[in-house]
Parts: sequence; structure tokens; C-alpha cells
Amino acid sequence: MTKEEIIKLTNKVFEDAFEIDPEKLTPQAKIFDELGLDSLDIVDLIVALQKQFKVQIREDERVRTIRTLEDVYNFILILKQEEEKK
Amino acid sequence: MQLRRVVITGMGSVSPFGRGVAALTDGIEAGRSAVRKMEGWGQYLGLRSLVGAPAEMKDEKLIPRLNRRSMGRLSIFAVQAAQDAVADAGLDPALATTGRMGCVVGSTTGSAISISQAFETMLPDHDLTKLSSMQFFHCISHTATMNVAQCLKLNGWVMATSAACASAMQAIGAGYDLIRLGRQDVMLCGGAEELHPTVTGSFDVLFATSVKYNDTPEQTPRPFDRDRDGLVCGEGGGILVLEDYEHAVKRGAPILAEILGYHTCSSGDHVSESSRPAMVTCMHEALRAAQLEPGQVDYVNAHATATMQGDKEEAEAIAEVFGAKVPVSSLKGYIGHTLGASAAIELAASFAGIRKGLLYPTLNLQNVSPECQGVGHIMGGALKREARVVVKNSFAFGGISAVLVCRMG
Repeated sequence: MTKEEIIKLTNKVFEDAFEIDPEKLTPQAKIFDELGLDSLDIVDLIVALQKQFKVQIREDERVRTIRTLEDVYNFILILKQEEEKK
Repeated sequence: MQLRRVVITGMGSVSPFGRGVAALTDGIEAGRSAVRKMEGWGQYLGLRSLVGAPAEMKDEKLIPRLNRRSMGRLSIFAVQAAQDAVADAGLDPALATTGRMGCVVGSTTGSAISISQAFETMLPDHDLTKLSSMQFFHCISHTATMNVAQCLKLNGWVMATSAACASAMQAIGAGYDLIRLGRQDVMLCGGAEELHPTVTGSFDVLFATSVKYNDTPEQTPRPFDRDRDGLVCGEGGGILVLEDYEHAVKRGAPILAEILGYHTCSSGDHVSESSRPAMVTCMHEALRAAQLEPGQVDYVNAHATATMQGDKEEAEAIAEVFGAKVPVSSLKGYIGHTLGASAAIELAASFAGIRKGLLYPTLNLQNVSPECQGVGHIMGGALKREARVVVKNSFAFGGISAVLVCRMG
């Protein structure tokens, strides 16, 4: 899976699940401060990303370091690369 | 201790006839039925009743996402009804945050759709990781009242009643007491419910639903009728604004009605069989609280859901208390049984009709059942008569009765 595909599918999660205007979905956008998600939304973001990318991230400690949309893209990319290595 | 007077100053409803009390009374006055055959229900083995009275969900996206995300279908109905009731009462939004305004909103359960989805998500793989954080907030018993309070930014008393089909009435009764006792000045009270095969199914397994009219849905339910064969579930939300009389007068609010008496009691006898003695007791006690005699009542809005036993017991109970002179009707022929929302929706419709000089007839009541005789059934067309004192009955599985007595403003 390419990074472009990951960006497209991740942005779709933000548009569909959190009703965020696509114009606001820039890589630098801060998930809490700028996109308006809160602690409950993060639970649903994890559920939606798991479904979209068929990955398990609920127990992954790296989730806690995510701040921006770019962080999400990179995290999914790493997970996909780890999956390919297996 | 001097108890305060409590008045109703606003009403809101989402019903199978649409959003708004005007849409509700328009449907009733046109003699329409909102009951239809439900698409897809035929797939359920053992579900014999395939009819329902669905309400259309509209404009839900006008509710901000951060509020809406915790709402299942019934909470959206409750919130929209509450918003309309507050607007109808002309309440200052700033009152919400004074701690003197709260809500009591009931439902049979949390969102039936969300509860079903939660099990469908979790059980196939016994996997909780697929559950949304919001599933809990949709499914809990106080979902409607919690969402009304959050969305309208209320910070007064918040409670939920859960007494199945008497939920809204018990909510109104609870709000009435809070204001009478001086604990709150304004309470948003009512109920909400949603239609789902599991809801109709829960009555169907008890042989309480209508099953003979699946291909002629507009002919059922038939309260008090010879050919009735059970209830039809509906959905929606109904909210009344209850207010301290002095508070309402001070702000020049329109007074729709004053609550004069309320009573609720258990039959202590059986969980599903209707109890005429308990109904009689409940009506007598509500009248006693109102300091009125049965002869002073101008209209009884019956619970009558069109079940074989419930209608018989209620007709006998009304006959015992009021005789045959007081006009009686049930509104369930139009909109089905909106269960936990029914008392609030039906009170709103009754008040709106009475303000126009109309007592609405029971739709589908064509031949009064021999066992439902002895009361003043309103049949055929609306009764054009001034009514001052109104009694509203509400009964529920679990042996619960609840009765409200109001005087029109």
C-alpha cells in the first residue's frame, strides 16, 4: 500500500466518521486542536482505522504519540511495512 | 409547606406524522393512519406482526456532531422535541445554566437499534475491539434524558424514567413533583422510543401485537373495536415544558394547561395482565390529588393500545370511575403505540385539539366491542366541545398505572 493510498483512505475516515471538511485535512493539522477530535473520538478513530486498514492498533503504545494527521499517515505506513515483513 | 402550582407552557413532538405538534394534529384531523407494512420484517422467523408506525428522521445534522455522536435514533427524536418545546414556551436559553431547569425523559430501553448493533458487532467473533466509544451512550437507559440535557446545556436535575409504556407519564409526574416542591423552576419532561423488530417482537412473543392486518395496515390498531387484535408499535419523541406557575406568569408565558393531580401505582398482581382495580385506584387517586370529582372531568385520553385484554380492562375502569357521559378516545389508531413517548405525544395532541375546540375521535373504532361498552367513545368525527379538565391514562407492562389530571389554561 502506497503512502498516497494511505492518505486518501485516512482522510476518508476523517471525512466520514468525524464530518471534517476535506480542506482542513492537511498533513500538519493537529488532530485535537485543529480538527476538534476529543478523547472519545480517538477511540472511534482507532476502531475506524482498524476497519479501514485491517490492522490492530488498539493496544499499540505508538498511538499515544500521534498529534497530527501526518503522524497518522506515517503510523499506518509503518504498520503496513511491518505487516509486509512478516 | 405550601406546594407550588405547576403549569405546562410548551410542547414539542416528533411523531409518525412528522416533526411538530401541528404536523401531528394535521394528521389526526385528516383522519390519516401513519401505520404501514414494514419493509424487511418478513425475514424474522416468528415475527407475526409486520406493521409499524415509523417516524421520519429529518434535520438531525443540525445538531452539532459532538452532541449528535452520543445519540441513537430515539435521542434525536427527544432532542428535537425538546428544542421545539423550549421554543414553543419562549424560554430564555440562559435559563438552562441557572441550575433551576432540568429534564426527566424516559424510554423503555436505550436505543433498540444501537443495542442490536452492539450485539451484532461483538458476538460473531466475541470481539470488543470493533465497538464504537459511543455504543455505550446510545444503549444506556438514560440516553434520551442525558442527551437532552447535554445538547440543551441544562445543568439542573436530570433523571430518566424507565417504565415501558408509562415512561413519559412518569417523567411528567416526576417533573411535576420537583417543581411543586420548589426544587426546580422549569422541567422538560416526556419520553422517546424507536421502532425496531426487536421492540415489536417483544410484544409479539406475548401475543399482544396486531397480526391480522399486515396487508391492510391502515386498519390497525383498532382501540376498543370489536375487531381489534393487538397493538402496533410506533416511534417518536414528546416533550412538555413544565413550569412553576409564578415563574411562568412573571415572564408572560402562554399557559397551555395546569397540572392538578398525578398518581402512579403498581397492581402488585401480574407483570403483563392489565388490572382494572389498579387502573381504577390510579384514576381515583389522581382525581383526589386534583381535588376533583369524576363528574368534573370533560375528556379522558385513554391509553387503549388495542390489545384484547388491556382495552377491556381500561374501558371497564373508565366506566366504573366516570360512567358513560365523559368523552373518551385513544389516539393510537393514528400513530400506533409510541410506547415510552406515548403519554407526552398524546397529551400534546390532546391539548392542541382542545385549544381548537376539538376532542379527537378514536381512529378505526367502528364497532365498539361488547366488552368495551359503557364509556363515552368518540367515534366517526371529532367532537366539537369545550373541554376544561382532561384526564390522561398511561399503563405499562410490569403492572404500572400512571394518570395525570390537567385543567386547560
